[in-house]
Amino acid sequence: MATSRDDFIIAIRSAFLKKTTKQKFSLLTLVFLSIFIIVLSSFNFKFINILRSFLNEGVYRASFIVSVPENFILNSYLSIIEYSSFYKKYKLDKEELENLRSENISNEIIISENKELKNLIEDYRFSTNKILAKVIVDHDSPFLKTIIINKGSFDNIKIGTNIYDKNYLIGRVIEVNYKSSRVLLLSDLNSSVPISITPGNIQAIIVGDGKNIGEIRYIKDNLIEDVKDQSIAYTSGTGSLFKSGIPVGKITNTSGKFYINFYSDFEQLKYVFAEIEQKYDRENASNFNENKELTEAAINNTEKIKLDLLSEELEILNQTNNKFLEENKTLKSQLNDFNSKILSLEKKIKSQKNLINQNQIDQKELEFLRLNLIYSSKCKKTAFGKGYKVGTEEYRNCILRKGKI
Amino acid sequence: MIKFEKNNYIYKLYKWLPILALYISVLNEFDFNYLNIDYFSFNFPFILIFYFALKEYNKFDHLLVFLAGLINDTVVGLPLGISSFSYIVVCIFASYLRNITIRPHLIKDWFYFLFVISLINSINYSILFLFFSYDLDIMFYIINNLFTFLFYIPASFILNYYFRMIND
Repeated sequence: MATSRDDFIIAIRSAFLKKTTKQKFSLLTLVFLSIFIIVLSSFNFKFINILRSFLNEGVYRASFIVSVPENFILNSYLSIIEYSSFYKKYKLDKEELENLRSENISNEIIISENKELKNLIEDYRFSTNKILAKVIVDHDSPFLKTIIINKGSFDNIKIGTNIYDKNYLIGRVIEVNYKSSRVLLLSDLNSSVPISITPGNIQAIIVGDGKNIGEIRYIKDNLIEDVKDQSIAYTSGTGSLFKSGIPVGKITNTSGKFYINFYSDFEQLKYVFAEIEQKYDRENASNFNENKELTEAAINNTEKIKLDLLSEELEILNQTNNKFLEENKTLKSQLNDFNSKILSLEKKIKSQKNLINQNQIDQKELEFLRLNLIYSSKCKKTAFGKGYKVGTEEYRNCILRKGKI
Repeated sequence: MIKFEKNNYIYKLYKWLPILALYISVLNEFDFNYLNIDYFSFNFPFILIFYFALKEYNKFDHLLVFLAGLINDTVVGLPLGISSFSYIVVCIFASYLRNITIRPHLIKDWFYFLFVISLINSINYSILFLFFSYDLDIMFYIINNLFTFLFYIPASFILNYYFRMIND
């Protein structure tokens, strides 16, 4: 028994402490070192952060280079798939483009109005500036859904900076280095975004599911029934983590649970936009004049956009009005033609009516003459019989009564 | 079978191949995630480290393994030191198994490997959840564990072939 315990202790000691000629550190030293680093990284020391930032810069670049062959194969495969469905996609896109064009004008008016109203209700005005960033590392890890972009503190990126794919929100920056940053995607389990669901303006929070969709949580029970399938979700701006009004995705209802399909495909991200914000405080006296000028310029700009849009709309209305006037003219001339036709037809009817009347009179006369031939001897006044004088009304009546006096 | 001249540069590179593969796998997160199979992933560095620590391969320096762990943490975005700790613990368990084993057997090694990776993944999950408040899906860990375990056998056949080439 004692021997087996000794063997065990010897094996353990050997595993922890034995160094071969090639090994510089024993495993026990390295275990303590790694525990020390874990503890340090949990305390967020400045020195560690700087060291980590330098390490990140180097490792991200190395990771990007090492990933080149794999990315090349993957991108080639995706390109082939894309080309095979190119024509079908083109047709769908064309249809969609036509629909979108028709909606564009009214949308632009709404956007400019929205901007103006936001300027009125907010104490701060943000001059936003989107910068293009390249995704240098995207390994689609199953544990943490993050990407690395090639913009960092040098480009004014800060922790919390919103990241977009086109105009759609995809996540926010959680770690900033000098020339690179880590972005936590909306699909990550640790990501929570306050949203508004329209129609209904229902407030909720979406949490990533660790794959590629999000789940709607923290919604009031009495409002669940108001949420409809295919409703649109956009950021509510609550908590100031994300700006308000940024489209996020569409709601789907699957067996009583509400999920959100993000507009953006997080697996296909190559370039993204980082929104750098520069805050101007209106109450700040030193910058007041400058701010005022900037505000006026912004308002003028929005009004100009509005005026341009309205003049465009006016032109369209004038064109339609002219068309209506032309149509009106042709209709009037057609109406005159129809009136003259009606008059001529009325005359024709009148003459035909006269003819019919005449015909009826002639038929009566013919009947009288026919009866006269038969019954004239009975009705005619003779020297011996009763009767009437020929040509009188009584004689006529007698003939029509068939000889009855 | 391929044979090398011992002073050849290719032979030297070939000797460093395991550590090179380890660094490429941590920098590239080599786990076929892009196949988009639900939950599918495996931990290739665990297989490499366990195998070479078990064989006591002299080019597989513990310090280099430790640094590979730091790089993995940086790439994945985990707190620094977590992967280094995991990799070194794998080395310790592999060394212990080597010390107590007289006649190595692949199946025994295989199940011992399952025990080791299950323990390490549990420790990882607990540290991240308890001390760093990470939200993690335990299903990912379980399936990652399972696939890492399953891939050990084919990987060990390939690596055995590599060893035979080196020794010849």
